[in-house]
Amino acid sequence: MNIKITLKSMFLCGFFAIATTGTATASTWTLEEAAKPYAGTTVDVVFLLRPGYEAAETMLPEFEEKTGIKINIIKHPYENALGEQVRDFVAGGDLDIALIDLVWIGNFAENEWVEPISKFTSNPDLVDPELDIDDFFPLVLNAFGGWNDVVYGLPFDNYSGLLFYNECMLNDAGFDGPPETWSDLKDKYGPALTKDGKHAYALQSKRNETQSADSFARMLWPFGGSFLNEEFRSNLLSVESQAGLSFRQDLMQYMPEGIVAYDHAEAVNALAQGDIALLTEWSAFYSTLKNPETSKVADCLKIAPEPKGPAGRKPALGGFSMAVASQADDNEQAAAWLFIQWVTSKQNALTYLEKGGVPARQSVYELDGVAEKYDFVPALVESWQDGVPEFRPRFAEWPEITEIVQEWGTKIMLGEVSTEEGAKELGDRMEAVLDQAGYYDGSKPLAQ
Amino acid sequence: MPATIKRSTILAFLGPSVITLLVIGIGPLLYAAWTSLHYFNLTKLKNVKFIGLENYGSVLTDGVFWEAMGRTFTLLLIALPIQLIIGLGIALLLHQPGIGFLKTLTRLALVLPMATTYAVVGLLGQVMFNIKYGVINQLLGFVGVDPINWIGDPTNAFIVIVFWDIWQWTPFVALVLLAGLTTVPGEIEEAAKLETKRWITVLRYVQLPYLLPGLTAVLILRTADTLKLFDMVFTLTRGGPGSSTELISLMIQRVGFRAFDQGLASAQAIILLVITIMLSQLYIRLLYKDL
Repeated sequence: MNIKITLKSMFLCGFFAIATTGTATASTWTLEEAAKPYAGTTVDVVFLLRPGYEAAETMLPEFEEKTGIKINIIKHPYENALGEQVRDFVAGGDLDIALIDLVWIGNFAENEWVEPISKFTSNPDLVDPELDIDDFFPLVLNAFGGWNDVVYGLPFDNYSGLLFYNECMLNDAGFDGPPETWSDLKDKYGPALTKDGKHAYALQSKRNETQSADSFARMLWPFGGSFLNEEFRSNLLSVESQAGLSFRQDLMQYMPEGIVAYDHAEAVNALAQGDIALLTEWSAFYSTLKNPETSKVADCLKIAPEPKGPAGRKPALGGFSMAVASQADDNEQAAAWLFIQWVTSKQNALTYLEKGGVPARQSVYELDGVAEKYDFVPALVESWQDGVPEFRPRFAEWPEITEIVQEWGTKIMLGEVSTEEGAKELGDRMEAVLDQAGYYDGSKPLAQ
Repeated sequence: MPATIKRSTILAFLGPSVITLLVIGIGPLLYAAWTSLHYFNLTKLKNVKFIGLENYGSVLTDGVFWEAMGRTFTLLLIALPIQLIIGLGIALLLHQPGIGFLKTLTRLALVLPMATTYAVVGLLGQVMFNIKYGVINQLLGFVGVDPINWIGDPTNAFIVIVFWDIWQWTPFVALVLLAGLTTVPGEIEEAAKLETKRWITVLRYVQLPYLLPGLTAVLILRTADTLKLFDMVFTLTRGGPGSSTELISLMIQRVGFRAFDQGLASAQAIILLVITIMLSQLYIRLLYKDL
């Protein structure tokens, strides 16, 4: 009995001590204290020329003032960002943080260019007790920063495909809301809104990642198609994939001429100038379209989730995480982690949102007034619950495969080959890349 | 000054140049040759392995490579003759006596397109040939022509590339040929003009021999330039729409730096180098045979 009481007392004392220590740590951990050993360290990071990065840039002085850590931003357009980073990591360069598009994560993780976050979250001196990793949308955390069940990066610049539309144009044409399905968009909204030099819809399809992600993949998934089947063989000749690709061809009659030369800038501009009525585009462009200085239709702009196809909504999913680079030294890694943790934190999510970024923190979208003030929020939250992580396969071979998709996807759109011929050629080339990578002889797991 | 120069002096003067050439010229070339014999993907450096001539085999049997090569030569075969004809016309006009100030002004103006950075030319093209807001369609609109889809249509996009190449490099051809014309001895030219009133005869039998060295240089330089033309096309069309403006240099960049297959890209680059050298030799033999 005495022993029992003693053990119980010891257990309770121990528990109390741990709890107290934990509470003390939680309440005493501050960014300023954590960063003290790293004051004066410079952290090199790549930023893109997009609204989310401009938002983060305006927040930087606060971080630098609190920590004494200098954040050195190297700006690149999206098209150059992967190449620049790959060259830096191959050459053992200066980058301390990797900016990772969700389709690059397999590449960065398999090459061990980035560190798992557990290296830092296991260090009580570095981890913010309020990090609250579960507050990130699970789909986004897994897709943007995770690979093979290991989390490498925290979601930073987060996109979901949304349907932006000009409510005034729709009302004038007799519609009281946006199309609920892709079929409605083509069969009802297309004919009614394509007139007087205006077009119903634009599908940005320029021959770069835009063709692969925003155009090709966007039409596969809602129709039940996909790039690969479960055996990692091409699924592009399936009835469902072909239905999606054929639909895209049919829909082109309601798009502006030369749509294959439209990148995000041209597509967003077309909606902002009132030349088109509907646009499926990343949530990241909300601030551009909603700003009266950059958009003529800011007052008429409304946002809805992407239309549904026969297989459901399956909206486009894209975005970037930031991960600590393996090539950085210990001090730089610690400083880099503190920055990533801070800029993606729950506490900063609202500021980031207000400055034009799109955080992946669930809690910020639950705050009073946020959904009313930022009318893309309900559609975004819905999209992140319906999204497909493998919207584009995330394995290391994607850079090679996306080039093939870009080439043949554009040829299909231009009518140089039929959807079947294009899908056949694309599938054969895609399988050749996967074969060479070792997916078919069992030397690599079928992970995407 | 001594009659014989010390060996160490020669080495001291020539050494730095030779070393620099080796480091920045020959070194990368040898590295590219080495790379071309390997499976060498920047994102899979753990799998680098010697594969002999496999990359060369892939390139030589790759239809996409030859299509890109075909496109590049199509550009060369269309643009170069036009550049030569217009350039020669400009050179002959500027060679006329008695237009001193105008000649100086024109020579200055001719330098401007050449001085414009390739990438800037491409960006200018993007703006000027924009289907909706471009100045070209605005001007065509004044004469009742409907807007033309310049950059979004495969054929038109290629025409735009040809146009810009001609715009940028005709002045170079004109200046080189003008320099050639100035080397024709005045008395011979005057005598020839007394013999015949046909300018074409004077050009063929008197001026052309003096133009041949410049012409050869133009052919070699323009061929090499066209084969490695990248910046302008990349910023203007990025090789699209589809593959309609994907010249060989864009393809090599795509394979090497977007798909990261450095081995294959090196093999493509080496084959391109061989073709360029062969063409240069061909030009020299054909054009210099009469000299």
